[in-house]
Amino acid sequence: MTRLYRVFREIHSWNVLAIAIVTLTSVPAIAIMRDALVPATANWSHIKEYLLTDYIINTAVLFGFSGFFASMLGLSLAYLITVFDFPLRNFFRWALILPLSIPAYIGAYTYSGMVDYTGAVTKLLSWAAGRLILLDIMSVPGAIFIFTFFLFPYVYVISRGFLAKFSAPFIESARMLGKSPRQIFLTVVLPLSRGVAASGCALVLMEVANDYGVVSFFGIPTFSVAIFKVWFGMGDIHSAVRLSLYLMGFVLAAVLLEKALRGQKRFSITTAKPRELTRQRLQKYAGWLAAGYCLLVFGFGFVFPVIQLLVWALLTYTEAVTGDFIQAAANTLVAAAICAAVIVVCAAIITNSARISRSAPARLASKLTVLGYSIPGAVIALGVLIFFAALSKLTEAVWNYSLLTSVFMLYFAYIVRFLAVGCSTIENGFDKVGKTFFEASRTLGRSITATFFQVDLKMILPSMLGAFALVFVDMTKELPLTLILRPFNYNTLASKVYEYAHDERIQYSAPAALIIIAVCIVSVYYLSKAEKE
Amino acid sequence: MFLKMQDIAFRYRHSDKCVLSGFNLSVAKGEVVALVGLSGCGKSTVLRLIAGLEAPECGSISINGRIMANELVFVPPEKRNVGMVFQDYALFPHLTVAENIAFGLTRWDRPQRAERVVRLLRLIHMEEYCDRYPYQLSGGQQQRVAVARALAPGPDLFLLDEPFSNIDAALKESMRQEIRSILQAEEVTCLLVTHDQSDVADMAGRVIRI
Repeated sequence: MTRLYRVFREIHSWNVLAIAIVTLTSVPAIAIMRDALVPATANWSHIKEYLLTDYIINTAVLFGFSGFFASMLGLSLAYLITVFDFPLRNFFRWALILPLSIPAYIGAYTYSGMVDYTGAVTKLLSWAAGRLILLDIMSVPGAIFIFTFFLFPYVYVISRGFLAKFSAPFIESARMLGKSPRQIFLTVVLPLSRGVAASGCALVLMEVANDYGVVSFFGIPTFSVAIFKVWFGMGDIHSAVRLSLYLMGFVLAAVLLEKALRGQKRFSITTAKPRELTRQRLQKYAGWLAAGYCLLVFGFGFVFPVIQLLVWALLTYTEAVTGDFIQAAANTLVAAAICAAVIVVCAAIITNSARISRSAPARLASKLTVLGYSIPGAVIALGVLIFFAALSKLTEAVWNYSLLTSVFMLYFAYIVRFLAVGCSTIENGFDKVGKTFFEASRTLGRSITATFFQVDLKMILPSMLGAFALVFVDMTKELPLTLILRPFNYNTLASKVYEYAHDERIQYSAPAALIIIAVCIVSVYYLSKAEKE
Repeated sequence: MFLKMQDIAFRYRHSDKCVLSGFNLSVAKGEVVALVGLSGCGKSTVLRLIAGLEAPECGSISINGRIMANELVFVPPEKRNVGMVFQDYALFPHLTVAENIAFGLTRWDRPQRAERVVRLLRLIHMEEYCDRYPYQLSGGQQQRVAVARALAPGPDLFLLDEPFSNIDAALKESMRQEIRSILQAEEVTCLLVTHDQSDVADMAGRVIRI
């Protein structure tokens, strides 16, 4: 009795709002689960018999190799940068984050243009070898290459932050005990940073699961490609839902693997006092080798594709930048600004409600939103589609207005997908501020709501702006949701890039691609700033 | 009794251990009482329960004859008229000294509010600092502002959580005297938590060990 009463006493209008928002945004996930109970269609038995194995193998291979290579690349670079001094180290320290500003699909389009029959790389190789050399990038290894070089910074940033803070005593003792740098990497750094590398790797895998642009362009049948095909080609949403459950299985496996790697043996790393490591100066030859390695990765992950895009943009901008292009840019701007604003407001409500509340439902609500980001875009799109199909029946009957052909369906999907980004950023802000200002204000006679507007809001404003910027960036480069849910004739910059690439006019995608990359550099800036703190 | 806590039990969430159980406390009007005890024994929790920042698992709390918390009632902190000085002062960084002190005076009309702020600034000898921001003050000055801010609305009860823990030993003595004279000037009932014996000797009329 008292327990129930306690729950009610703790529920506040903030909690009610927060729970309402979370419920609304989890409707797509519920819609998918419900739809999975529908009996299998005829298509499904065909898919199951002839295609499913391929989807599973391809997705597993992409997950496994991209995750492994991205982790190795990220971790080894983080080790080099934190432990050693070599030429251009300070430049590479932040430059190696830049590959993250190129969405993987843009990287894929650009590289495929560079290695095709008339591409720059083909010309160079053929000139050097004296005969025609064609690299086949539109393959599974090619996709692994793309994911590795454009996603490794997730691992790099997280493990560099960790190593810079906690590794000093361990590395120094290993040095005193006469281990070589290579031995230190293998026997100290690798096992020590296994957990953080795993979280970086989990982020990489979520991006791989979310990707549609790369695999569809390279013609690799994975689950996201299959979901698109089954939905657009066969109009069979029930089979698409079944496929998306398999994809969710992969994501879940990645998350569980991360938990497992982090969970067991946590060591007592956190008891070590954070201390800056005195970097070891690499001798001439070794120093240049390290710099060369960084340069190579930076070149593949950023410089080459950007130069190629700049060259293409110069050739094509007069034809590519037309009314259509400007319309797409305007659509992107409007969608990103509106959704980012809505997300920031919703995220502030959810995180504040979790912070002030002692009740379980409010805290659970904030945990649930984090799920949104781990669900691949294609899956969210399906859920939103099912939800809006039901909703649209109502609006058509009452107002004669179809939600299915409106842009609101797309906006809603954006909000579901990126709410987690906003929440985690603002939650960080709240954590930094702490709770005593809130408590002081309460004892001085202000209610929760008055305190929020007069005290909390002022202090978390920077995090709210940061959240806005991050969501804005994510939205600018978003592809799978846009492709599935956009109204007829509606384009964003990202979908424009996709259309050009699939029309075999990759060169024309360059201006839009460069704008997207420029916007994405904003998020890289925030990432490096957050890491500094 | 002015403040009465009866049979209080409390535990923090996700914790099996009771911080307090069967705890009783009564304080008469105008008394200055010190709570002392080892760290982790629940001294600060008592203050947080009185302020309404935590809710007791069972038991009742009443202040000035008004029930603040029992099985059926829970008065939120903003309606309790209890002033509290936090260990880290929690001065709002985006407000000036004067604005910080005026923060709790929303229900006062403008001229009264200005008068009250001036009176408190004079009391803590910081008139010339009224337009400074908290980061421009020394630790001792910040503490005096925190005391003034908590006293400004004329609380029924005044709570001090380890008030001198962040202050240089040299400053402590004068701070103690200053706060004691402020408390006397304002005639408030006061409960302070400390682990410093000289705080107790200098300030408190009565000591309670937990």
